[in-house]
Amino acid sequence: MAMEIVYRVKRFDGEKSYYQEYSIPYEKDRTILWGLIKIRDEIDPTLSFRSACRSAICGSCAIRVNSNALLACKTSLDKQLALYQTNILTLEPLANFPVIRDLVVDWENKFKHMTEVKPWLIGEKDCPGGTGYYRQSPDEFLEISNPTDCILCGCCVSECTQHTNLRDEFYEPFIFTKSWRFTADSRDNSPKAHLLPVLNEGGLWKCVRCQQCITKCPKGVRPADHISRLRCSSMNYGFTDNLGTRHAQAFAEYIQKTGRLNEVTLPLKTEGIFRTLKRIPFALRLLRKGKLRPLYFPSPIQGIEGIRKIYNRLRKEEKK
Amino acid sequence: MKYAFFPGCTLEGAAAENLLAIKKVTEILGIELEEIPGWSCCGATHLQDTNELLGITINARNISLAEKIGLPILTVCNTCTLMLKTAKQRLDNDDQLKTTVNKALSEANLEYHGTSGITHLLWVLLKDYGLANLKEKIVRPLKNLKTACYYGCHIIRPPETLGFEDPHNPRSLELIVEALGAKVVDYPARLDCCGFHALFPAEKAVLKMSGTHCLVAKNTGADCLVTPCPLCQMQLDMYQPDREKYLCTETKIPVLHLPQLVGLALGASPKELGLNHHIVDTKALLNKIS
Ligand code: FES
Repeated sequence: MAMEIVYRVKRFDGEKSYYQEYSIPYEKDRTILWGLIKIRDEIDPTLSFRSACRSAICGSCAIRVNSNALLACKTSLDKQLALYQTNILTLEPLANFPVIRDLVVDWENKFKHMTEVKPWLIGEKDCPGGTGYYRQSPDEFLEISNPTDCILCGCCVSECTQHTNLRDEFYEPFIFTKSWRFTADSRDNSPKAHLLPVLNEGGLWKCVRCQQCITKCPKGVRPADHISRLRCSSMNYGFTDNLGTRHAQAFAEYIQKTGRLNEVTLPLKTEGIFRTLKRIPFALRLLRKGKLRPLYFPSPIQGIEGIRKIYNRLRKEEKK
Repeated sequence: MKYAFFPGCTLEGAAAENLLAIKKVTEILGIELEEIPGWSCCGATHLQDTNELLGITINARNISLAEKIGLPILTVCNTCTLMLKTAKQRLDNDDQLKTTVNKALSEANLEYHGTSGITHLLWVLLKDYGLANLKEKIVRPLKNLKTACYYGCHIIRPPETLGFEDPHNPRSLELIVEALGAKVVDYPARLDCCGFHALFPAEKAVLKMSGTHCLVAKNTGADCLVTPCPLCQMQLDMYQPDREKYLCTETKIPVLHLPQLVGLALGASPKELGLNHHIVDTKALLNKIS
């Protein structure tokens, strides 16, 4: 008998949500989207989902399969069945979006954050020889090449750890990507206008580095890396009076000084004396269990002079 | 079987019990570890924020030290694994970057060649040592122990850097735990993030989240959590009273380092594995297996 596959679809009719199972006969070399279209065409015309290009370009078909966001048109059905070793897949709308109906989500409130980072080139730079063209070197273009690949499908939003936790206090990963795309654009006259919203409202330093965004992006865009670059950029612009900067700089200093982290002084360097005092009960707890050595200061590692020379060289080059 | 051992900073500090367990387990299994002389902190996802090239160069230095002793690197911390593997991936695919980094490394009379691989203890147990061999060494099968497996982000994501298994449905940890004789519970948070790297700037969110992971594990009926990452272990164990303030409920569940769980099955004593250094008491769990 031919194998049946089951799509267990999370449905929403505007009031209640429920799961509905659809069985379809298995066919080889199909996509997840193929199954959805088959169900809509042959079983249930009320099933709602989006798709347009069927070529991983328009970004409209993003959904979750077994709790992982993906493009339905790009994803091989065979590979999903093999990955989960099952013939039943659970299909849900992207997480962290309001749902309009079934698998269709509402993008409206994402545009607010998008507008905040001003996703357009600001100001005019001289076009050499009055050509009317903005010129970019290959290196300058490479800087913005990866963020430019974003197709706004929303896959990165669905499983973003900190956006799930903090909602509006932590922007969607693709917003950071968009911010970096313009902050780094050599033709832009006001990079800070794109950078400051992510630093102040977007929670730039609150990213947990879970790498979900990079993992889920179907186009190889790397929002978590763009977050790192935005952080670096914010420090270069002098926005250093915050916990995140102090924490990152503490690591850089420890490595330069001894080569190793010092867990005992790290909170002090990051938070300052007052907030650190609040951590005394925590420290005592660790002390009681022999997890903290308050008088242990790592001595410099073998070859520390080499590390310091590396630092000096790279810092000098950075200044250039 | 011999590796260049990269312990990572926390094994000299708040996760020292993990070092005890690793030494014991590798001794019993006959896996030889040579600590990389002069290894430095990997930068723990923070260094590259200050200077991307510095982040790569510092880890190129670590790798080149292992290359000098001619051994593949064995890591025991997820984040160290990601930092080292990120550097390696970038350097092995970009000759221009490799030249730049090697110029910087020449200041320390070192050179990155790309000859040493990087692997994690979890992967070594599964692939290099092998489940069959591991099972042969088990003297105390963890029969009654219900275990929730917690991977931690940086051993699965991003997949093109880590490359061991599909991050959407990994199996390595469950396979090891089952080989030890323990029962793996169905644990929905097994692939979630513990929040360790944003504890300072987003403390409340992080503590709530890691507390919830423990609650979910408790609700599955698990006796303990186990993780291959000392940072996840610290995040899930050390902050237990702090997070209960936010969650207004008990979240106590012992969280074991993977080598501790392996060590128990290999017959090592709880003390030898540092199980007395946990914030959430491990006695009830030990009673279950003795
Ligand atoms: S239909 Fe356009 S990206 Fe899938």
